[in-house]
Amino acid sequence: MPVLSINNLTKSYGSLTAVDGLNLEIEKGHVYGLLGPNGSGKTTTLGIILDILRQDEGTYEWFNGAYGEDARIKIGAILETPNFYPYLNAAENLDIVRRIKGVDKVKFDELLEIVNLAHRKKSAFRTYSLGMKQRLAIAATMIGDPEVLIFDEPTNGLDPQGIAEVRKILSEIASKGNTVIMASHILDEVEKICDHVAIIKNGRMLASGPIGAIMSKDTIIEINAQNNEALHDLLKNHPAVKTVHRKLEWIECTVDESESIESFSRSIYDQGIVPTRIVARKTRLEEEFLQITSS
Amino acid sequence: MKNVFSLLSLEFAKFRKSAVIGLLSILFAIMLPTVIFVGKEFKDVPPPLPSNEIFFNFPTVWDYLGYAGNWLVFFFLGLISVFIVVNEVSFKTFRQNIITGLTRRTYFLSKFYSIIAISLLATLYFMIIGFIIGVTHAEEFSFAEAFNDTSWAIPRFFLMTLGYTSFGLFCGFILRRSGIAVLFYLCYILMLEPILKWGVHYRYIKNESVNFYPMNSIEDLMPNPLFRFADLIPRKDIDFSFLLNYQQATISSIIWIVIFLAVAYYTFIKRDI
Repeated sequence: MPVLSINNLTKSYGSLTAVDGLNLEIEKGHVYGLLGPNGSGKTTTLGIILDILRQDEGTYEWFNGAYGEDARIKIGAILETPNFYPYLNAAENLDIVRRIKGVDKVKFDELLEIVNLAHRKKSAFRTYSLGMKQRLAIAATMIGDPEVLIFDEPTNGLDPQGIAEVRKILSEIASKGNTVIMASHILDEVEKICDHVAIIKNGRMLASGPIGAIMSKDTIIEINAQNNEALHDLLKNHPAVKTVHRKLEWIECTVDESESIESFSRSIYDQGIVPTRIVARKTRLEEEFLQITSS
Repeated sequence: MKNVFSLLSLEFAKFRKSAVIGLLSILFAIMLPTVIFVGKEFKDVPPPLPSNEIFFNFPTVWDYLGYAGNWLVFFFLGLISVFIVVNEVSFKTFRQNIITGLTRRTYFLSKFYSIIAISLLATLYFMIIGFIIGVTHAEEFSFAEAFNDTSWAIPRFFLMTLGYTSFGLFCGFILRRSGIAVLFYLCYILMLEPILKWGVHYRYIKNESVNFYPMNSIEDLMPNPLFRFADLIPRKDIDFSFLLNYQQATISSIIWIVIFLAVAYYTFIKRDI
């Protein structure tokens, strides 16, 4: 059963089309990354499905309509910035969220412990650093046992330590079987936390699916020989090689996954060239991302 | 799904520590009972007033205290109703409340219930203060005399408060930016409407219709009692009263309140937030 289905969602700001006919289905238990460069329409999409922006066209439905217009009670979400009452402290701010969610009792101390804010429970929100604000927002998303958690650029603007802390918390949340939707322009983050990914550019979906499926199965091989010129020519005509690039220090080529490294090395050796260095690796999401979004 | 009381207590939890709203409430509470005592300074009141005791005795105390309240409600309580909207816009809790789970309708209702509660509390306070002032200045105490008010001053005070606070919500929901909303609220009432009335409208249509502007209607629910005397003075060019009568003011105010709230509501439902 899909937790969220988005159908042909479109929204423009004047002449700029921020979201352009987007379709997406998110299943229960998925940790879904919405990946795209800044300004690609991620936040607009999240804004629409959280009912703060109005779409021009298209529809979305949460939980197959099980909760009607109260679906957001079952969703814990942060959009763009952590938003709280500046003069209230952590516990008081979480209590506002509790009231809106209509939950009776919440163990605020435990929540604040998880996000490492217990020691600042009684300080006004305005005295917090950005990292602390973001962690309080993450704590707030967990109130009322939400069925889905939504994080929008959760590490944006944080210092390295803050980024590490937030990522650790998010990984823990993701590993507990929660359904998570995370928008980010940072590939590394999505790769580490998510199991599914949708790549968005200019408001359009370029690719989506399990991270493994998005990442191509080709192997990338970095290779050197005494005579790189001859090696380059050889690789260009090699049947298993798909692309060849001269890099500064080595030659890089993508090789079909059916070709084992051993037989690949032997085929080069048989042509009279001895590789002096050979490194094989899988393509990284970043390369895929750049490749997908640049075309 | 959310009832009146849970929404009101949510609003209270949000704002009970807000310095601005606390300050405005306290100033209103202090000034309502004290401003009227300025009347003590005027030992010699001009005719047709018999003496300055008229400010403090039943039943006229309701009119004079009500008129003092008119200015104080306009300023302090009206601004509170602007702030309960624009503060949330600038904290972005406006968005977050919706994201967290309030529907836009419930969010709007929470603000509407707030101004009803503010108006009820202010009216209750007005009743208590008026009663105390009247009783301490009466020769003998009688409940019947205290509330023997044929002009319905207490319900009019409530409607007046609801009028100013509705206009405050309207400014907040439509303009959103705190500085602009506050400025518009004050400027419209103090300057724009009088200019519209006398500078534009009256130039072309010289009749009573000039009095039915929203803020004028709301003001005339609790008018300056001395203006009643102004109509006694013969004038050349104006052959209608400066003030709406209470019935006209009540009906006109109710219509404007409904318009303000309806426009604010539908704008809020439709727009991006």
